[in-house]
Amino acid sequence: MNYRLKILPQNKTIKVREDEILADKIQEAGINLSVYCNKRGICGKCFVKIAEGKLPTLEEREIFLLENKGLSKDYRLACLYRIKSNLSIEIPEESVIQDAFILKTGIKLPIALEPSIKKYYLQLKKPEISDPYSLSELFRSYFQDKNLVIPFNLLKESLNIVEQSKFNVTAVVYNDDEILNIEQKNTLDKNFGIAIDLGTTTVVVELVDLNSGESIDITTAANSQMEYGSDVISRISYACTNPKNLDKLKESILETINLMIKQMLDKNNVNSSYVYEVVVAANTSMNHLLLGMPVKSLAVAPFSSVFTCLSPLPLADLGFKINSCGKVYIAPNIKSFVGGDISAGLIASDLANTKGNYLFIDLGTNGEIVLKTKDEFVVTSTAAGPAFEGMNISCGTLASPGAIYKAEYENRLALFTIGHKRATGVCGTGLIDLLAIFLDTGKISEKGKINDKTKKIPLNGSIYINQKDVREMQLAVGAIKTGIRMILKEFHLSKEKLDGIYIAGAFGNYLNIKNSMKIGLLPQIDEDKVIFIGNSSLAGAKALLLSKPAREKIDSLVRRMRYFSLASHPLFQKYFIEALEFHMY
Amino acid sequence: MKIMIEIAVNVEKGDSASVKEFVRNALSQNLSAEKILNYGLIKGMDSVGKKFKNNEIFIPEVLIATRAMKAGMDLLRPHLSEEDRKSKGKIVIGTVKGDLHDIGKKIVNMMLEREGYEIMDLGIDVPKEKFVEKIKEEHPDVVGMSALLTTTMSYMREVVEAIEKEELKHRPKIIIGGAPITQSYADEIRADGYASDAASAAMLVKNLLKHERAVL
Repeated sequence: MNYRLKILPQNKTIKVREDEILADKIQEAGINLSVYCNKRGICGKCFVKIAEGKLPTLEEREIFLLENKGLSKDYRLACLYRIKSNLSIEIPEESVIQDAFILKTGIKLPIALEPSIKKYYLQLKKPEISDPYSLSELFRSYFQDKNLVIPFNLLKESLNIVEQSKFNVTAVVYNDDEILNIEQKNTLDKNFGIAIDLGTTTVVVELVDLNSGESIDITTAANSQMEYGSDVISRISYACTNPKNLDKLKESILETINLMIKQMLDKNNVNSSYVYEVVVAANTSMNHLLLGMPVKSLAVAPFSSVFTCLSPLPLADLGFKINSCGKVYIAPNIKSFVGGDISAGLIASDLANTKGNYLFIDLGTNGEIVLKTKDEFVVTSTAAGPAFEGMNISCGTLASPGAIYKAEYENRLALFTIGHKRATGVCGTGLIDLLAIFLDTGKISEKGKINDKTKKIPLNGSIYINQKDVREMQLAVGAIKTGIRMILKEFHLSKEKLDGIYIAGAFGNYLNIKNSMKIGLLPQIDEDKVIFIGNSSLAGAKALLLSKPAREKIDSLVRRMRYFSLASHPLFQKYFIEALEFHMY
Repeated sequence: MKIMIEIAVNVEKGDSASVKEFVRNALSQNLSAEKILNYGLIKGMDSVGKKFKNNEIFIPEVLIATRAMKAGMDLLRPHLSEEDRKSKGKIVIGTVKGDLHDIGKKIVNMMLEREGYEIMDLGIDVPKEKFVEKIKEEHPDVVGMSALLTTTMSYMREVVEAIEKEELKHRPKIIIGGAPITQSYADEIRADGYASDAASAAMLVKNLLKHERAVL
């Protein structure tokens, strides 16, 4: 028999057949129905109001879920409802998956909320002498999954928990196939996760509500491994001089992250036992050091890493201070030395599914450049050095309060500092503005020479730029420029054919596009095509935390991407030397 | 002499065409090739070396200047005496295994070539076996090693040990350089010398070989 299904408030009408499942049809109509439990009738998130049509008798678990939500008797779970008549239904807002927006700037990309960690409130039947179910059978039958993994230790402890809370418990399920923990009573509203962007210089930790996808709090700190070396290479050499040093580096960063997590949880009154997952996006060296993996091969050509993709790790092996039954997910590396920070960033920007020709550039100590065209998806990495982060620059500083982050020139030089504080130094974006201005005013030549005899340009009080600083910037800009020019040339794409350039990294909106083009950091294209996407590594970590499909995407992404090696390219030297002069291109 | 100054200045500017023109001009005035070399071309490169060391000019300018110097050199070569054409010494040089940095070493090469040394560049990512093999084949006076990473500099010790193990009759002088290298590291691994930049590297080789000759 054929019937008609009318869906409100979307106001869609489709044809359906006898015995089809309502939830399937709603999804086919293009509505993002919340089927948290994969249509097993246990999460109670897909309730719809049957306005017209047959109302079958409520199933036992439906009654309980209905009461729980305070819904009237004409609501049914769409995933249990078999169509037997013409239907007119109303879908309440709560039954539709709300998109979370993970990028704060640039592109607004929705991501479907489907975390790996899910919670289910179970009302277990008490076993009776006539029906002597085992506890494990109870769980498995509830989830209608014979293969549900229940760890041995959990099973041992759960009987007490189940009895104490009178057979009403909350199960914490991982990837729909493993029970991580059993909590007393109903704790559905307490499900949290942590997203981490672990950078060489700074660490950003975000506390996320897995039910709403909302960010609860976010905090930034310096990477405590700095005391063992400010850059990746010096940390790796430190790790290699003594086997104990690798542990020291690991302990140091774990301690920092755990302290950040603790302070954030305390501040927001969230108990750490309700946090079951940490997702980390980091460059290859940082994720290796976090896991205590050997790093020796990472700093010597051919720069091979120990891992690219890891299965999610049980927490016990790692030492994050969240629920001890929890999991850690590390964003996969792309080949050996393009890290999970980049793969996460690509997920956050959804570059793989964006039509057109795009560059994705992460401006950091290691500049990563990704090219996406119709046929190609390639990444290259170029050693820009730490100048963009204000290091190796006489009066350089990180982008922190007091840093000169912006400069303008109209008859006189105007300097702007972060937080309007007294100037303490110049950070990367400030240096780029200043170079562009001094090129314009002739204080610096295109070859990078400071024309004044003193070889120094005073800025503000004791802050200045000297000849060596300009040289450092020439090397940093030149490295990025070489990467962009070579990747475009290798794949026969002129800059005119670019539909956009995504700029990721800490530079954020501070980067002046016009000035970046003037000094040759970016190719000259329509300014509107340059899009800042901010900390895409953190946004990607959050996407991976909130959305299981994002994890499938990232796996296929890292398999699909190719690496284009600059260092071994015969034209590298020629391009690099050309790129050392401040020319537009 | 004015024409010598012109040659030197144009080497510095990297103007190959002008360098060639002035060298031809000088030769037609019957100035000796040796003079043109020392007071024109080398003088120009000396100034390039100094300015590079002081950050006044940068890598591209050094490379262009070298090209100009070589253009002049090609014209002079047939006119140089046997004595002047002879190499002042043979140098085997390479960036050690695991390290792919090339440009710094190339600039050192230029400074050494200018001084009249014969350079055999083994390239980048060079294993110790290749250093040893080349030393046995070519009997160089000096072996130069470059490393730009703290993680790859440790390989220099292995190369020194491999060379020493050969117990060569004339062990070449070993010199090292690169951003993370220091004199104390050179002492530690028993290298004979360290230079912080290309111009100093040329001086270092000169001193080491002078000393060597005095001993001989």
